[in-house]
Amino acid sequence: MTADKETTLPATPARGYWAEVWRQFRKRRLSVIALWYIGFLSVVAVAAPLIAGTKPIVCRFEGKIYFPCLSYYNRGWEPGIFTKGKFRKEYSTKLKIMDPESWAVWPLIYQDPYRRVRDGEWPGQPGNPSGADGVPSRFNLLGTDQQGKDVFAQLVHGTTLALLVGFVSMGIAATIGIIVGALGGYFGGWVDMITSRITEVVMCIPTLILILAMIAILEQTTIWHMMAIIGITSWTSIARLTRGEFLKLRDAEFVNAARAIGVGEIRIMYRYILPNALAPILVPVTFGIASAILIETSLSFLGVGLQPPNPSWGTLLDSGRNNLALWWLIFFPGTAVFSAVLAYNLIGDGLLEATDPRLREGR
Amino acid sequence: MLRYLIRRSLIGLLTLSLITFIIYALIRQMPGNPATAQIAEMGLNKRITEEDMERINRSYGLDKPWHQGYMEWVRRLLTRRDLGRSFTHKKPVYALINERVGPTLLLSLTSLMLSYVLAGPLGLYSVVRANRTDERIMSTFLFMIYSLPTFVAALALLYFFYQRLGWLPLRGMSSENFDSMSPIQKLLDVGWHMILPVTCFTYGSLAYYARFIRSNMQEVIRQDYIRTARAKGVHPLFVVVRHAFRNTMIPMVTQLGLTLPTLLGGSVILEQIFTWPGMGRLFFESINTRDYPVIMGLTLIFSLLTLMGQLLADVLYAVVDPRIKLE
Repeated sequence: MTADKETTLPATPARGYWAEVWRQFRKRRLSVIALWYIGFLSVVAVAAPLIAGTKPIVCRFEGKIYFPCLSYYNRGWEPGIFTKGKFRKEYSTKLKIMDPESWAVWPLIYQDPYRRVRDGEWPGQPGNPSGADGVPSRFNLLGTDQQGKDVFAQLVHGTTLALLVGFVSMGIAATIGIIVGALGGYFGGWVDMITSRITEVVMCIPTLILILAMIAILEQTTIWHMMAIIGITSWTSIARLTRGEFLKLRDAEFVNAARAIGVGEIRIMYRYILPNALAPILVPVTFGIASAILIETSLSFLGVGLQPPNPSWGTLLDSGRNNLALWWLIFFPGTAVFSAVLAYNLIGDGLLEATDPRLREGR
Repeated sequence: MLRYLIRRSLIGLLTLSLITFIIYALIRQMPGNPATAQIAEMGLNKRITEEDMERINRSYGLDKPWHQGYMEWVRRLLTRRDLGRSFTHKKPVYALINERVGPTLLLSLTSLMLSYVLAGPLGLYSVVRANRTDERIMSTFLFMIYSLPTFVAALALLYFFYQRLGWLPLRGMSSENFDSMSPIQKLLDVGWHMILPVTCFTYGSLAYYARFIRSNMQEVIRQDYIRTARAKGVHPLFVVVRHAFRNTMIPMVTQLGLTLPTLLGGSVILEQIFTWPGMGRLFFESINTRDYPVIMGLTLIFSLLTLMGQLLADVLYAVVDPRIKLE
């Protein structure tokens, strides 16, 4: 009896799979820093209108509270009272004139990503210079572009676009890729034949050809079009990996056990296999986010993506290409694109090492 | 082996026709056509009458619905091996591609050779000095430049070497007085224009291959036969070069197959920045001018190369690794 007790070790609950992945991931300092950086960028992306803008975050006008800054997220959200009549969106001057009782909380920096700030708009701040005069200064932290629009404001608002494109397009790609890969890997046979062939065809179409052709079809490209197009052209690597994982796991003991107690096929796929396959699938997804950001910026750079008034890192770089002497139009947006891509690649690399036991030994 | 090749080729043919079909369907849905694109480009406000429009459409063969147009394209390709004529350049697509393929190959082959030659020593170095400070720094640096977008690098290089220093040219493949130069001067002139594009083409793949070699070597170096070699007293350098490096050649060789499409395809973005008269730029132009025959011709070539590259990679894999049998 006592011998038995000695052999059963005091039970420490086994670490879960995800906890183990996280423990391995944390060992790579650079990847963790990259994760923090992406967190920081996400905050900037969400809070962009609070950081730079010419519309009050909150204001009280004629007895009512408004949030005009929300219109940076969606133009339709601008309160009608400010767009109609004599107000014409000139918040900084008209608020006080039209209602002396009004008050407003302003963004950290009074600059607009869509237009040039004029003289006398903001007390103590001159109008934005343009062209070669637009060097970084106290009022324009990162300079201004050819039309006198503030680079800092464009960068901050461009972050929203870049991160959104990364997340949403990879969300679409992951959904398609996981479904296609899971079906092929789990069922095998002719289902696998069909899904593998589809994957192969999409993989063989040069991505840029497909994207350019699809964009050319659209009369006007919006962010959502871009994200959809990038999403439906970049799911192939996710599908291939998912297929491999499902192929490996479909005959695992816990899956057979689930089958034996009568769990349905679909439920087995997404409740039993998918959670165990998700960590490796995250690797191509992370790298995919990096390349989605890259695709979006290159398209804007080539002038085929979103049209100029929309602030994008790529558009800024494009204006830098046409005015090589204005180094701030190259350096700052270039750094932004580079650091975001690098961060996602670092996270992907960390995940790869954390989920692949072959790379782990001897480290 | 032969059966495998035949089967793969047949599947490839099917894939190819699917791809060209999809692309043809897509590009015919684009708003505008060669005629309207031309007018928009020339900035003519002149209204064209409907009759004129119809005449132009008929001359371009655009009066038929797209599926008929596609069948026509396939028929001409198969029976006369003809890719049609470019609408904007007024030349056969073959001739046009022939003109553009040279400049692209000049860039891509130079950069491929450079990256293969340089990646080997870099990869070996990082394995030999694994986990020391200098290796850590080098690997981090390689990882960083691997993540550096080419257009950002191109702009930064242009800023320094063209704008600030004035050492290197802004664009194009040759200077304006190219025709009056002696052959040696011509060679030097093209070389001078190539420096920046080749640098931008190379650094990314160089970093990729170096990392590739390193990660493969790290797997190989833990094998038993390496331990055996070490145990019997082989010089550490020879262990790495003779015993380990040879085995990492297998994935390297297959990589060679996969670079085939990029070799001819060039890079749209780099050729656009440097105004390099290559295939990538031709493709971009032809999308903007709605030059369907050129788009189709390039799509055909690019996807054919992608398929052939994959097949080549698989075949080479079986050739260099006797453990792998193709069935």
